[in-house]
Amino acid sequence: MEPRTETQTNTHTIDTGAPVISADAYDTAAFHAADAIAVVTNTTAPDAVALPSEDASTAELLTAVQEAGHRAVPAPFAETALVARPLLRRAGLPVPEGPLSYAIAPDLTIRYARPAASAVGSAGCLGEDDSLLVTGALHRVPWARAVTEVVVLATAPSGPVLFTLPPGRAVLTPGGNLAGEPRDDLHLAAVEIPASQVRRITPEVLEEAGLRAALARSALIAGAAERCVDLTVAHTGARTQFGRPLSRFQAVKQEEARLIEEAALVRAAVGAAAAPLDTGGPVAHGAVAAAKTQASASAAEIARIAHQLHGAIGITRLNPLHLATTRLWSWRDEDGDETYWARRLARSLTATTLWPSLAATP
Amino acid sequence: MSPSVLSPTPSPIAFPDVALPESARGLRHEVRAFLEEERALGTVLGRPDSWLAGWDPGFSRRLAERGWVGMALPVEYGGAGRGFLDRYVVIEELLAAGAPVSAHWVSDRQAGPSILRHGTEEQRRFFLPGIAAGQCFFSIGMSEKGSGSDLASVATRAERTADGWRLTGTKMWTGGAHVNDYAIVLARTDDTDDKHAGLSQFLVDLRAPGVRIEPIRLMSGEHRFNACHFEGVDVPDGMVLGRRGDGWQQVTGELAFERSGPERYLSTFPLLVSLLRELERGSATAAQLTEVGILTARLHSVRRLSLAVAASLDAGASPDIQAALVKDLGTRLEGTLVDTVRGILPTPADPHATPGSHPELLAFALLHSPGYTLRGGTNEILRGIITRGLEQH
Repeated sequence: MEPRTETQTNTHTIDTGAPVISADAYDTAAFHAADAIAVVTNTTAPDAVALPSEDASTAELLTAVQEAGHRAVPAPFAETALVARPLLRRAGLPVPEGPLSYAIAPDLTIRYARPAASAVGSAGCLGEDDSLLVTGALHRVPWARAVTEVVVLATAPSGPVLFTLPPGRAVLTPGGNLAGEPRDDLHLAAVEIPASQVRRITPEVLEEAGLRAALARSALIAGAAERCVDLTVAHTGARTQFGRPLSRFQAVKQEEARLIEEAALVRAAVGAAAAPLDTGGPVAHGAVAAAKTQASASAAEIARIAHQLHGAIGITRLNPLHLATTRLWSWRDEDGDETYWARRLARSLTATTLWPSLAATP
Repeated sequence: MSPSVLSPTPSPIAFPDVALPESARGLRHEVRAFLEEERALGTVLGRPDSWLAGWDPGFSRRLAERGWVGMALPVEYGGAGRGFLDRYVVIEELLAAGAPVSAHWVSDRQAGPSILRHGTEEQRRFFLPGIAAGQCFFSIGMSEKGSGSDLASVATRAERTADGWRLTGTKMWTGGAHVNDYAIVLARTDDTDDKHAGLSQFLVDLRAPGVRIEPIRLMSGEHRFNACHFEGVDVPDGMVLGRRGDGWQQVTGELAFERSGPERYLSTFPLLVSLLRELERGSATAAQLTEVGILTARLHSVRRLSLAVAASLDAGASPDIQAALVKDLGTRLEGTLVDTVRGILPTPADPHATPGSHPELLAFALLHSPGYTLRGGTNEILRGIITRGLEQH
């Protein structure tokens, strides 16, 4: 198995030629491969992951996003494949080339750029066309500095809208997460969005955007969890203490099994949401809420065990474990943490609906 | 630079994707309708651990009349000839409702499939129709004093006689032996250096002379388990199950069936239903909702893994490692559920409170809780199976 070679060698081999890339040093020019994303030089990420075709099923997209999470692909892979592209298609907008990101921003101040001369109803509710004037901030937009467009979901005077924003039209304040992935703020001061880039959407599409973002993050977590398993199994098999491999110690076996189980649990929860997302409705909401709750709730235990079994080398940048664990700690909080999604999941449950909703998937 | 695009990394322990067949959907509604009728009769009480403690042979027979006992057995032996996924839907509905299924549980889950797989044609024709009709109930005689998860150390012996075998020894934890008809007993038939060889399985009439059953009371006071003494019990040749000396392989080959089903995470589910009923009386706090949501997400995820094992079994695979993983996750969740429910809504557990009330269900689940991670192989042993599976990967 090609991807395992790195872990089959002695994990104490130190690769000093693989510096970790810092949040402001990404080579944005390298993202634009036709069939793959994130060919980034100067990084410890293993390799590129193929972008699925635009008509790929949600299950296929999830598999690819998990793989991107597994390899810590330094690019907005999940954002492009599972969130931005499907939302653009749902809204009937063309899908631009290159990496994409998204922002769900109900708090933006939006007016019509060309208000109707004879407005009917409350002032500003109508425009000559749908071009918008947008003011406000988009917070912690994933990879904003590196994308061609940000898909923004917001509320216009007419109701929910989706529009695309080239990040160059905003003032960018760089930020990042624990893994050093870019999370940038975009400040918009009455930026005009032409009507050709705006689509009115239904509340269902707005809801779907939130679900897609949470599920994408869950699939990334599932992949990073799997990386923790791979690295830990390889490490405990290779590293000897007191004359035998760590994997021969009962205490190590017990912890390792729990790690494997927790990773399997996250993977199962993510897989269970693929089909419901395609059909939509309350089943999709339940399945995605369960997936993100489980993924975020499991992240701590997965990272804890992986680090414990790696010993001191695991907390350095000499070992690739940090690529997975810093992402787990970041991704569990992004697009809704376990508390947020657990509440959303539980809010609709009653004694009589609990079992039917659990048995609604698959 | 052109990317070398790699294929996805295979997971060290794979679970197949699963979607229930259309037939299962209709079946689910039929079972729910049946459960509504039974609720009206007062037989479905929504109790925890109903596959161990909910003993009601009448309920089992009515279930069998619908074709829902031994339903994976072939039609020619009285079964319904349906797959494991259909069976899965039926038993998860029954357990979630806390229906009294313990009378036929072992016959349906273990004895039936085991006789179908290893039994002679004569044994199949004799036992399977009775099992599927909810008329023939089995116990399992595997464990002994001193041999918990280490089954190869069993000391019960079967000595050759003129026309069969004579059993001597004591089995522990034989659930329902005091009310059931038969037991499948694992005994040593040959002495060998290899502890796993020389064991055989027997179909033993629990009412035969020489069988003495002694209750082992649970700490709740319930009588579910027994010490089953075989004091020179004659078993005819025709009641050897499978091949002499293959007992170990036969027993371990069935563990995936025993370890991965919905009973491994739904034992305490009715307590969560009861909690929600209590919470509906007022309005739940955000903290309570969070805890309920986290438990529900975990139940949902474990169910998905358990279903994946059922799909593997349906496809004829032997997902032993996956089953061990599901059992460890599921049974730990059962225990966690009891503690979490107690934390969400602090209630003094009271075994003397009105049957079916929240304090009474909590007491019941608590007194049963240490057993969840013991029965069917202790969880520490199961985790050893999981890591050993990785080494073979």
